[in-house]
Amino acid sequence: MKRNLAVTAALVKDTFREALARKVFWGFYGLSTLCIIFFLFILKIDLVEGATASVSLFGKTADQAINPAEFVRTVCGAIAVFLYTWGLALAIFASGSLVPGMLEPGRIELLLSKPLSRAHLLLGRYLGILLVVTANIVWLVMGLWVILGLKTHIWDPSFLAACASALFIFAVMLGLITLLGVLWESAALSVMVPVALMLLSPILSQSKFADRLLSSEWSRQLYRVIYHMLPKVYDLGHMTLEIARRQPLPEGAWLAVATTALFGCATLAGGLWVFSRRDF
Amino acid sequence: MNGDYAIETDGLTKVYRSAFRRREVRAVDGLSLRVPRGATFGLLGPNGAGKTTFVKLLLASVRPTAGSAFLFGRPCWEAEARRPVGYLPENHRFPTYQTGAGMLDCYAALSGVDAAERRRRIPELLELVGLKDWGDIRLGKYSKGMLQRVGLAQALIHRPRLLMLDEPSDGVDPVGRIHIREILRELEQQGVTVFINSHLLGEVELFCRDVAILHKGRLVLTGAVKDLTLGKGYELSAKSVPESLQAEVLKLPGASSACVNGAFQARFDSRETANRTIDLLRSGNCEIDSLAARTSTLEEVFLAAVKGQDGKAA
Repeated sequence: MKRNLAVTAALVKDTFREALARKVFWGFYGLSTLCIIFFLFILKIDLVEGATASVSLFGKTADQAINPAEFVRTVCGAIAVFLYTWGLALAIFASGSLVPGMLEPGRIELLLSKPLSRAHLLLGRYLGILLVVTANIVWLVMGLWVILGLKTHIWDPSFLAACASALFIFAVMLGLITLLGVLWESAALSVMVPVALMLLSPILSQSKFADRLLSSEWSRQLYRVIYHMLPKVYDLGHMTLEIARRQPLPEGAWLAVATTALFGCATLAGGLWVFSRRDF
Repeated sequence: MNGDYAIETDGLTKVYRSAFRRREVRAVDGLSLRVPRGATFGLLGPNGAGKTTFVKLLLASVRPTAGSAFLFGRPCWEAEARRPVGYLPENHRFPTYQTGAGMLDCYAALSGVDAAERRRRIPELLELVGLKDWGDIRLGKYSKGMLQRVGLAQALIHRPRLLMLDEPSDGVDPVGRIHIREILRELEQQGVTVFINSHLLGEVELFCRDVAILHKGRLVLTGAVKDLTLGKGYELSAKSVPESLQAEVLKLPGASSACVNGAFQARFDSRETANRTIDLLRSGNCEIDSLAARTSTLEEVFLAAVKGQDGKAA
C-alpha cells in the first residue's frame, strides 16, 4: 500500500514537472493571477451600515445604492460562469498534450518496464493532470472569493461550488482526453473533440426546441439518446450559476450530473482498457 | 517454470497484423530460449530480426500472439516479475525537463525504491557512470553518450538481478565503452544476469559468455561464445618460404595457403598435416613465425548462421 502510494506520488510529481516545463502550469497560473488582480483593483465596494452599498467599477459609481449581498451573488454568478466556461476550455488546452506525451516511443517502453500495472500508470497520469488543474482552479476561485469577501464582508460559501463544478466537468472531460490520447496519441485530437462537445452541449440541451424541430419520433428519440450519452457541459454550467446565485436547481439537474459522471467513468474505463491491450 | 533461469521462453511468437491490408509480419516466431541466472548473454541478429520485439515481449510492452515468457520463474506479464529487472531501451527518450538526478529519483520511485535509499543511491550511481557533476543539470543539455550513461544508472538504480540493455554502447565513445564494460563486469561478479541486445558483434564478443542469434524472428544459433568461435585445424605463418616448398605444402591433405604481405600463411585441417608442414619448412631452413589453433570471430559465426538460414529458406 505504502509502495503504491509512493509510485502514485512519483507519477503525479512527474506530471507536475512536465506541466511546469511545458509552461502549461505557468500560463494557466498567470491567467488566473491576472484575473484575481483585475478584480482586486477595478472593483471598489463601499458598505454603508452593512445594508446598502455604492459600487464602482472601472472608477464609475453605480447610480443607485444596491444590496451588497445581491450584488455579491450576481458577481459570483458571473465569475462562476466565466470560470466554468473559460477555465474549462483553458484546462482542456493545457492538458491535451500530457497523455500523448507519456506515450512517446522511447519513453513509454521504460515506464512499462517498471513493476507497476498499466492501469496504475495511466491513472497516476490522470490524477497528476487533475491535480495540476485543481491547483490552478483552487488558486483562482479562492483568490476571487477572498477579494470579494474582504471588499464586501460577505463570505458566501456557495461561490466555492464553482470550484467543485469546474473540477467535476474537467475530470469528466479528462476521461475523454485520456481515451483519445491512448487511442491516437494526438494532442490536437485530444483537444478538438472535448472542445467540440463543449460547443455542442448548448445545442443539445435545447430539448423543447429540438422536439418542435424534429418531425419524426425516432429522430427525437435519437436526439434524446445522444443528449443523455454526452456530457452536459451547458446544463452543469447553468447549475453552477444557480448555485452561486443561491437559486433552486433546475429540474433534472441531478440526472444531468449522473449521466455526465457516467460518461466520464465510461471514457476513462475505455482508456484504461485500450491502454492495457495496446502494443508499444 | 524453472526459477533457475533469469529468462525462459517457450514458443514465444509475435505476429503484427496490419488492419486493412491483412498482411502479417512474424516479428518473433516460436522462440524458445533459456538464460541461466548470472549469465552474460548477448542476443544478436541483423536489423529487423526481432531482437527488440523479443525484449519488449519479455517486458510486457508488447503482448504475445502465442507462447509464454518467464522472468525468474514468474510470468512476464505480472508487474512483480519486472521488479528485479533493470532496462535500458534503444532510442530511449528521457524527459528533457528532468535533471539527471531528478530522472533517477523518478524512475527509482517507480521501481519501488524508498526515499532514503534513493538519496543514498543517486549520487553513488552518478559517480559510477562518470556524471558526478551533472546531476543537477537538465537532461536536455546532455550529449548522446552522457544520456546513455545516465540511462545505465537508471537501469541500476534499484539493484536489479537482471539487466536488459538494448544497444548499450550506442553513441558512446571508445573510452566510455570500456567504462561501461568494466561496470558490467563488476555486476557480473556480483551475480547479476546481463542480457545485451546488440548488433555490435565485437562488443558482444568482448563481454558475453553466451549468445543467441536471431534471424527473421527465429532462433538460428545459440551457445557459448568460446565454443562457437572455436575453429577446426591450425594456422601457420612463416617467412622466406621458397615457391617449391610452398607447392609441396599445398600437396599435403587438408592444407591451404596464401601469401599475405610477403609472409607465407597456411591452414591445416589436422595436427598431422601441421606437423608434416613444420618438418618440411624446417628442412628448408625457413623461419616459422607462429603456429596456433584456428578460431573464428563471432562475426564469421554470425554471417555463417544467417547465410545458412537464408540458404535453407531459398
